[in-house]
Amino acid sequence: MRIDHDQFDQRAGAEVSDVPAGAPVQDDMTTPTSPGIERRFADFDTLQDAVDYAATSACGLNFFDARAANPRALTFRQLKEEAQAFARRMIARGIQPGDRIALIAETSPEFAVAFFGSVYAGALPVPLPLPTSFGGRGGYVEQIRNQLTSCDPRLAVAPGALTEFVAEAAEHFGRGIDVLGWEDAAALPEKPCDFPTAGPDDIAYLQYSSGSTRFPHGVEITHRALLANLNGHAVGVGLREGDRCISWLPFYHDMGLVGCLLSPVANQTSADYIATDDFARRPLSWLKLISRHEGTSLSYSPTFGYDICARRISSQSSVAETFDLSRWRVAGNGADMIRPSVMESFAKTFAPAGFDAGAFTPSYGLAEATLAVTISEPGTGIETDLVDERRLAGESRADAAANGDLRKRRIVNCGRPLPGMRVEVRGADDSLLPDGEIGRVLIAGPSIMTGYFRDPEATAACLDGEWLDTGDMGYLKDGAIFIVGRAKDMIIINGKNHWPQDIEWAIEQLAGFKAGDIAAFAITTPQGEESPAVLVQCRTSDPAERARIRDQIKAKVKEMTGMSCVVELVPPRTLPRTSSGKLSRSKARSLYLSGEIQPLQVAA
Amino acid sequence: MTTTKEEVLPRLIDIIQPFNKKDIELTAATSFANDLELDSLTVMDLVAEIEDEYDIILPVNMLPDLETIGDVASAVAEIKSK
Repeated sequence: MRIDHDQFDQRAGAEVSDVPAGAPVQDDMTTPTSPGIERRFADFDTLQDAVDYAATSACGLNFFDARAANPRALTFRQLKEEAQAFARRMIARGIQPGDRIALIAETSPEFAVAFFGSVYAGALPVPLPLPTSFGGRGGYVEQIRNQLTSCDPRLAVAPGALTEFVAEAAEHFGRGIDVLGWEDAAALPEKPCDFPTAGPDDIAYLQYSSGSTRFPHGVEITHRALLANLNGHAVGVGLREGDRCISWLPFYHDMGLVGCLLSPVANQTSADYIATDDFARRPLSWLKLISRHEGTSLSYSPTFGYDICARRISSQSSVAETFDLSRWRVAGNGADMIRPSVMESFAKTFAPAGFDAGAFTPSYGLAEATLAVTISEPGTGIETDLVDERRLAGESRADAAANGDLRKRRIVNCGRPLPGMRVEVRGADDSLLPDGEIGRVLIAGPSIMTGYFRDPEATAACLDGEWLDTGDMGYLKDGAIFIVGRAKDMIIINGKNHWPQDIEWAIEQLAGFKAGDIAAFAITTPQGEESPAVLVQCRTSDPAERARIRDQIKAKVKEMTGMSCVVELVPPRTLPRTSSGKLSRSKARSLYLSGEIQPLQVAA
Repeated sequence: MTTTKEEVLPRLIDIIQPFNKKDIELTAATSFANDLELDSLTVMDLVAEIEDEYDIILPVNMLPDLETIGDVASAVAEIKSK
C-alpha cells in the first residue's frame, strides 16, 4: 500500500522543507486567528447582522488546495462586500424575499458569497450536494432533480463545470429554473437598492441533509433558531482566543454548513478548509491543515473521517515528524454513531504527534435541530457505558439481568443539552422514562426547525407542539444523553445517511418489481460496520435467471444510490407486514438474521 | 504531446489491480460499480492513486461519467494531451 504522507513530503511538503520537520508554518496569505474586536457569541437578531459584525473583525475563511497548500483567503469584510453585490444582482434579476436559490455546495469562496448573498437578498439559500465518485451520473441528476422539485427555486447556481448536470436536473420544470455558473452570476448587472429587512422568525435557509434522496425533506431554519444554535455551539466548546476552525466537511451537510461555516461567521472565528473530495482522496491533508495552525484548533468529523486517517498512515512512517496535533483542542465527534474502538485507534496512532484523546468531544445533533442538541464537556474525551446487547434490542433491564447475557456494547456519553435545549426519553406509551431506561429521544428548544418546507404531513409526523421526535433511541444519565441507535430504518454508511426507501425505489424502477416486494435495511458486518441489505420477493424458479435478476438489482442500486448492497431473493409472500398492512423493515431484518426467512438458491 | 487511451490502459490496469478484491479479469469494459463493486471511499483512494501516477487532477464534473476502466483511460489520455 502506498504511504500517503510521504507524498506530502515530496510534493506539498516542498514548501516547508526549509523549516524543521513538523514545525507549523503560518502562511501570511491566510486571515489572522484573533478577531481583533470584542468577540460576540452569535447574539444577533439575524444572520445579516452576524455578517455585518464579523466584517468588522480581522477574521475570514481560507480555502486550501488538495495538498493543504496555496490558500485562497476571503476575509469577512470581503465576504460581506461580495455577498451584498451578489444580493444586488439577484434583486436586479427579480428575486423576491422568500424565493429559494439552489446552490451546489462546493467548498469555495464562490459558494460562501452566494449563500450569504442570497440571505442579504431575503431569499432562502438551499445548499445541494456535489457528485462524489466514478459513475452514478443518473443517480446524481435524479437526486438534484428531486431536491429542486422539493424546494422549487427561482434560480440554481453551481460551479461552471457542473451547470450541465444541474440544467439536466432542472429540465421539464413547468416554471423553469435558471441555471447559472458562479461566473455567470458574478457577471449579472448590479443595481443599487435597499436590502429587505429580515426578522428573527423569518426562515434563513433550507437544509437537505436529512431525509431520503428520493423523498427529500427541506428543513426550515429561522434566524432565531440558527443563532441560538450557534451561540450554543460557542458556549459548548468554550470558544476562546487562539481558536481556529478547520474543516473538510461538505457545506451541504449540517455539520459542515452550520458547524464550520455559519458558526465561524457568527462567532468571528477564522476557518481553514479543504474540499470534501480532496479529503476523500488525501485524508491526511486534514491533519496537515491542523498541524500548520499555531493556536488551538476546533475540528469535527464523523467516525469514518478519523477511521480513514488512522488506516492511511503506515506503521513505519514517523507520525511525530509529519504532524503536530498537540493543539487540537476540540476534536468533535458526531453525525453518525460514534465508535469508541475507532477513536481509540486514531488516538493511539496519532499520540506521537501530540494528539490528546481528551480532545475528543462527542456530541449529538440533527438537521431538524439546526445542528447540535447536546455536547460533552471539552477536555473529557470519550466516556462510555457498557450496556447489555439484549437491552439494546429492546428487552427490559430486568429481563436482560435475568438472562445473564454477557455480550455488552459500549455506548458513548454525548453530553448535556446546549443552553435552552431540553431532552426527554419516552417509552412506547409516551411516558417519561427514568435515567438508564432506553426509549425514544425527544427534544425541544430554540433551535428546533419550524418544519419541513411545504410538507405538513412529514412535519406533523415528527413535530408535536414544541417537541420533536428524533426517531433516535437512547437513555439519559445525570442529564447527559447516551444514543444507542439512530432513526431505526436509517442506514449510515461512511457517515452518510441512506434511507431504505431510496434502495427500494431504485429496484421498483426495474420492470417486474413493485413496492411491497422489497425490503431494505442495514446489517452489521463481522467487522462491526454497517452494510445495506435488501430482500426481494421473486417468482422465478430458474437459478440462472435468478442470478441475472440479482445482478441486475445490484447494478441498479449501485447506480441510483452509489452503494454496494447485499441482495437476497426470497419466495413470494415471505416479507412481513405490520397490522396496518405496511411492510415492516425491522421485522424483515430480524427474520432474515434469525434464519426464519431463507433466501432462494441462485446459480453461481 | 499526445497520449492515447491504448497507451494509458495497460498501466492503468496495473494501478487498479490492488483494488480488484474479487480477482476478476480487468479490461476496458470493466465497470467500477458493477464489476469491481468499489464503495465510494475506495473509489476516491483509487482516484488519488491515478492522479498521483499521471500527475493530473480528475475534475469533479468528469467523475460521474466515468463508468468503466476504458472511460478513465480515455479521460486520462485527454487530460494528458492538453
